[in-house]
Amino acid sequence: MKRALCSISIALLGLALVLPTAGTGSQDQMKETLKLQLPKPMFVGTPKNIRTPNLEPITGKPRGPFLVPVGTVLLSAGKPVTASDKEPVIGELSFITDGKKSGEDGYYVELGPGLQWVQIDLGKSQALSAIVVWHYHSQARVYRDVVVQVSDDKDFIGGVTTLYNNDHDNTSGLGIGKDKEYIETFEGKLVDAKGVKARYVRLCSAGNTSNDMNHYVEVEVYGLPAK
Amino acid sequence: MTKKAFWGLFACAVVGALFLRTFRLDVRPMHSDEANQAVKFGDLLERGEYRYDPKDHHGPTLYYLTLPVARALAGKSLAAVSETTLRLVPAIFGTGLLLLLLLFFGGLTREAVFSAAFLAGLSPALTYYSRFYIQEIVLVFFLAGLMAAGWKYFQTRSGWWAAAAGFAAGMMYATKETSVILFGAIAGAAVIDHLLRPKPAKPQPLKWPAALLHVVLFLASGSITAWLFFTSFLKNPKGLIDSVHAFGIYFSRAGEAGVHAQPWFYYIKTLLYSQFGHGPVWSEAFIVALAVAGSIFAFGSEPGKDGHPRLVRFIFSFTVLALAAYSVIPYKTPWNLLPFYLGVILLAGNGAGLLWRAGRFMVVKVIVLSIMAPGILNLAYQDHRANFVDYANPTNPYVYAQTIPDFIKLIRAVEGIAAGHPEHERMLIKVVAPPDETWPLPWYLRRFTRVGYWTDIAQAGDLRDAPVVIAAAAFSGEAGRDLDSGYQSAFYGLRPEVVLSLYARQDLWNAYLKVRTAKESAKPGR
Repeated sequence: MKRALCSISIALLGLALVLPTAGTGSQDQMKETLKLQLPKPMFVGTPKNIRTPNLEPITGKPRGPFLVPVGTVLLSAGKPVTASDKEPVIGELSFITDGKKSGEDGYYVELGPGLQWVQIDLGKSQALSAIVVWHYHSQARVYRDVVVQVSDDKDFIGGVTTLYNNDHDNTSGLGIGKDKEYIETFEGKLVDAKGVKARYVRLCSAGNTSNDMNHYVEVEVYGLPAK
Repeated sequence: MTKKAFWGLFACAVVGALFLRTFRLDVRPMHSDEANQAVKFGDLLERGEYRYDPKDHHGPTLYYLTLPVARALAGKSLAAVSETTLRLVPAIFGTGLLLLLLLFFGGLTREAVFSAAFLAGLSPALTYYSRFYIQEIVLVFFLAGLMAAGWKYFQTRSGWWAAAAGFAAGMMYATKETSVILFGAIAGAAVIDHLLRPKPAKPQPLKWPAALLHVVLFLASGSITAWLFFTSFLKNPKGLIDSVHAFGIYFSRAGEAGVHAQPWFYYIKTLLYSQFGHGPVWSEAFIVALAVAGSIFAFGSEPGKDGHPRLVRFIFSFTVLALAAYSVIPYKTPWNLLPFYLGVILLAGNGAGLLWRAGRFMVVKVIVLSIMAPGILNLAYQDHRANFVDYANPTNPYVYAQTIPDFIKLIRAVEGIAAGHPEHERMLIKVVAPPDETWPLPWYLRRFTRVGYWTDIAQAGDLRDAPVVIAAAAFSGEAGRDLDSGYQSAFYGLRPEVVLSLYARQDLWNAYLKVRTAKESAKPGR
């Protein structure tokens, strides 16, 4: 009798174990890989060949207002500029702070390929509100590894504050940036300086989507002049 | 020039041209037109399917001529086919063009034939488009074949040459719709030749039964060739009718021109003088100047040691008529200059040959050569720049709506991300871009089996389904919002002014960067 009960118990236990498994198995059999019908690419003729400047923004949406402390002025006008590339391929470093922001030839300075920087000396440490940079806006392109830093140290060894960094793979060696890349437009890129005090502003880039060169039409640094 | 010297120099010209046409064929990123042809060819390669498409593609020959090359080098999978394999086809025809020039013997001197072959081999325009997977150089090859077979027929009155000319004409028609412009120019040149022929004509024209038989041979050979190709070798009977319908489409496009509208002098200017921005000056004026010199002989009357004036006159008339026709049409792209440029090259060869023969003494020949040397060196320099330095630089006049090298970085990133994805090449990729910003993605993503292409972001479903999304700049705002968290975004150039954005799931991106950084660190010298 004991043996019979034992046998029934084992059989029931086995059944209890098998049933849910069988249930899952039947569920599995009812599933299949979703076969997506993905759309094929549409054929199209030769695309437009572009060699002419385009001064229109791509998004079409103007930048919203940016609020700064009362008394904020342009600090960078005519200030001296230095760069990692001592002999620009095209133009002069002084173009960067000459106030001329046209997208045409003759208004931009071209630095060599790869990682390059330009640096503006504001003369003294001042509270900065905003930095606006125009790399090259006669063509829709994206500059790589754009990093904007400020410091009171002209060699950027100590006391460096990074205001903007979109170097998402740290090719510049200045750390991985979380900021987004952006397409150049006539509006320039505005970087919030958050009132940080500094004398030197350094902007880095490492080529662009059209070529390996680095360009600057203008950089404007706004802030409260030191008393 | 002795026979021995000719064959030695001619062989050098062919070998040189072959080198220029085949060396580093993969250096230039695929143009969207090349990618378009390549993907269309993929259907033929993998499934044996080809149907002539009069709307978005030219004739069938390029695809069928690619078939043996691709089968031999890559098998039956488009994924295994490389840019080099595809571009070998125009490279072969671009080099074969030089060999066809041998058929012009009797009408052109040895010096002229060698010079034409040398200039064709060294021309930046001819070299550039002999490395370009589109129909143009194939069209030019068969155009040269038609003219050469026509010349041989003129000399021999042989039915075989009539049939050969018909075959070449059929291949031209089955290659590109613009062949009708060239047929018109050839017919016009033949009429001019007939009007200006010396009397009594030499050789005597055939009597009508034989002449009629040769006309029938020419037409039958051409028609059968075109019929076989357009009907996909009888699988698609409608193909030949579609080829006629195509003219409606192409005539309307040629008239409207749209984004490809150019002034009438575009081709002349492109050949004579081009400079864009800070780029270098480009010019094939040296060849054009020699062609002008060679054309003077077209107005002679008697054949002699310097060749046959009727052949030169025919080439001259064809060149002028074809240039005029192409110039009148508002739709212009730089590769369309090749067919009439063939005439310019032949005339330039004749010009160089005449200059060579003008000096009876070696001293004079040396002087002629030293005058021509700077022009030849300049051509060689430009050929090098056009094909191996500025191959994607918009300041190069032969670069037209070209994919820029930055685009390759996008592809490498997608491949790197896929390597870290558990499904690898089965990883879902969503592409949201208008058609003209989609190509050449389908070619470069051919190894991925789950790629969807949408022209409207609203129809692409939830973008977060895909670990990788590629979007046109116009959609980057919406895509960026949808993929703001958990995705890494990066921009890549497609063509000048055209930027694509890549969105990759953050974990896959991080893994890709880790691998990439490790690989770069492992490189010697780092």
